[in-house]
Amino acid sequence: MDLDANRSLIVAALARIASGDRAALQAVYRLTSPKLFGVVLRILGERSEAEDVLQEIYLTVWQKAAAFDASRASPMSWLIAIARNRAIDRLRSTGRKRLTESIEAAIDIVDPAPGADSALEESETSAKLHACLGTLAQRERTALRAAFFDGNTYEELAARMSVPLATMKSTIRRAMIKLKACLEQ
Amino acid sequence: MSDIRDHSGPPDDELIAAEYALGVLSGTERTDAERRLAREPDFARLVSAWEERLAPLAAEIDEVPPPPQVWSGIAAALPSQSAARSGLWSSLVFWRGFGLASALAAACLALFIYFGAANHNEPLVAAIDGGGHHHFVATVDVKRKTVAVMPAAFANDAQGRVPELWLIPADGKPRALGLLQADHAVTLTLPAALSPLARRNSVLAVSLEPAGGSPTGQPTGPVIGSGELENL
Repeated sequence: MDLDANRSLIVAALARIASGDRAALQAVYRLTSPKLFGVVLRILGERSEAEDVLQEIYLTVWQKAAAFDASRASPMSWLIAIARNRAIDRLRSTGRKRLTESIEAAIDIVDPAPGADSALEESETSAKLHACLGTLAQRERTALRAAFFDGNTYEELAARMSVPLATMKSTIRRAMIKLKACLEQ
Repeated sequence: MSDIRDHSGPPDDELIAAEYALGVLSGTERTDAERRLAREPDFARLVSAWEERLAPLAAEIDEVPPPPQVWSGIAAALPSQSAARSGLWSSLVFWRGFGLASALAAACLALFIYFGAANHNEPLVAAIDGGGHHHFVATVDVKRKTVAVMPAAFANDAQGRVPELWLIPADGKPRALGLLQADHAVTLTLPAALSPLARRNSVLAVSLEPAGGSPTGQPTGPVIGSGELENL
């Protein structure tokens, strides 16, 4: 499927949602819910809770569509951020600890999952992000990936990687600074 | 941001935005960041920029089609539709009782009269629904003459039949567009002869056919879902 065609469809549908068009929300749902459900399921790890959060996500999209600015963000980045934040809010509010196994056991965090591909993956921005992640130290890259995929807090990451909290904070912060500098080159 | 020697002191806005976007903050740090996000446009811009930088990682996460009840729950929580649209949809549901084929033909004819003057070059989209399930979503690029069809909640037929896509324009006669896949998107070519018929309010329908597709050029198996093409 042509990602650019898809992107313009999602942008156009978001604009229609802002004027109260339910069919437009349904179109966005059809185009994006398998990816967002995957993201949420990965963070929450529990299907019925993930379904519940997915409903909240599209109701949030319904309410916030007018605030989406296509000149500032890509629609998928915007939707993925809403999905991750909703899932993380749910995780934090239940106080449930998730995925605190040792990082070494989570092979797909240390390196990209084999065969992971999608239209997003092939894009130029994705290739650049992966190239820049490749310039980080292994520990920095692993910590960033664990935080993104599993929705871990600093405390959980420190436990998973068996380092003091202050060390984990400086690892992540240093990684973010390097990543931004690399992406802006 | 220029200080790369020490990262244990109080972080600047750029770093707080990065930490919030990554999701590592908890407790009051997270709620403070959320409050600033709502009130400070500059901070919100920093957060958006980080969300944009990190989002491509999600490409590594496998897509998982959600079950149909998720959409039903969303639809039930939305404010009710405008009178015009709900009238149309309830009419379609009503017509199904009299047989899908005649209903589609009647719907197409009525809509053709109302909306016949649609723009021919806009991309079109149709959600192909039936029996309370959302089976596929199709997008028609009239300019490039392609129809991209993505499976939503379609499950493979237990009897081994395959889903076939049909274009049903205002005359109500189905035209075969090609076979679909349950597990990945396909892009079909829109034949030049059918291109003028692929317009707003034409209907896309999916029937179950023997392997290889309908032997007759017309749907032979059950129609499992249909949806109108709409402008986006």
